[in-house]
Amino acid sequence: MHELSIALDVCRITEEHIGRHRLPTVREVGLDVGDRSGIEIDNLQFCLEALLASPPFGNGVPVIRRLDGDELSVTYVEVEENGGT
Amino acid sequence: MAVRRIDVREKVMAKNDELAAGVRDRLRKHGVPSLNLVSSPGSGKTTLLERTLDALGDRLRMAVVTGDVQTQNDADRLAARTDRLVQAVVTGGACHMDARQISTAIDEVDLPATDLLFVENVGNLVCPASWDLGENAKVVIFSVTEGEDKPLKYPRMFERSDYCVINKIDLLPYLPFETDRAVEYAREVNPGLRFFFTSALTGEGMDEWYGFLEELCRTGAENPV
Repeated sequence: MHELSIALDVCRITEEHIGRHRLPTVREVGLDVGDRSGIEIDNLQFCLEALLASPPFGNGVPVIRRLDGDELSVTYVEVEENGGT
Repeated sequence: MAVRRIDVREKVMAKNDELAAGVRDRLRKHGVPSLNLVSSPGSGKTTLLERTLDALGDRLRMAVVTGDVQTQNDADRLAARTDRLVQAVVTGGACHMDARQISTAIDEVDLPATDLLFVENVGNLVCPASWDLGENAKVVIFSVTEGEDKPLKYPRMFERSDYCVINKIDLLPYLPFETDRAVEYAREVNPGLRFFFTSALTGEGMDEWYGFLEELCRTGAENPV
């Protein structure tokens, strides 16, 4: 169940980046998750779907790429410019 | 509506790792080695620490930070065995401890007057493996009541640990547990593991554990035994 802690850290990183660009509406958050990172991917997906659908993220969805190894990183954030709809 | 992609490439938990590095620096500055005790619930971590405090309390100044999801029962048990401060972290539902909790907990520990720091993590063989707390090494406690194949079922915890205490060996005559097989499975996951075979309840096998701790304190945090 540490996936919720991981998801909260993903949100912190996302918030820092969208704040820096003053672009509040998130469409996607891209993650690389290694198969030896200790993450249960369905659980992480569930947590992120709930968190990214809430303010300040608009209606974002997580896009998780599975890799070998223990990688665990946020690779990109896709946002709507002009605040979106 | 224009869509823009922002390149991020940032490691998740980098903040925890930064805090853990801070904890490690503080401990190193004061020459305090630290061990993070991890295991499933009920493996005997608290009993191991009780007996360790009893046996070495006159020779080593040991500080303990305990983590539990609820209650500070473990901290209360350990506080009865030492005059030193035992810090209790109640995680309130979280399945692991993080570096911020340890950083805050050791604010209250008199580090210049400490020889060794134990962190007794939340009983869980999954999540605590992923969180660096700033320790020198993880010690996985593996009870003979758990089944030999736990290292294969929870490989990350055994991979991330440097030491493995196979505990409750006083129960071996009553259980089908095969110690050699358990060691073989653990070495399959982590060939570098060093083992201790103990009964924290009866004291059997504890002398080697005590010797290891004393040697660790002599050689210091930079040179794990």
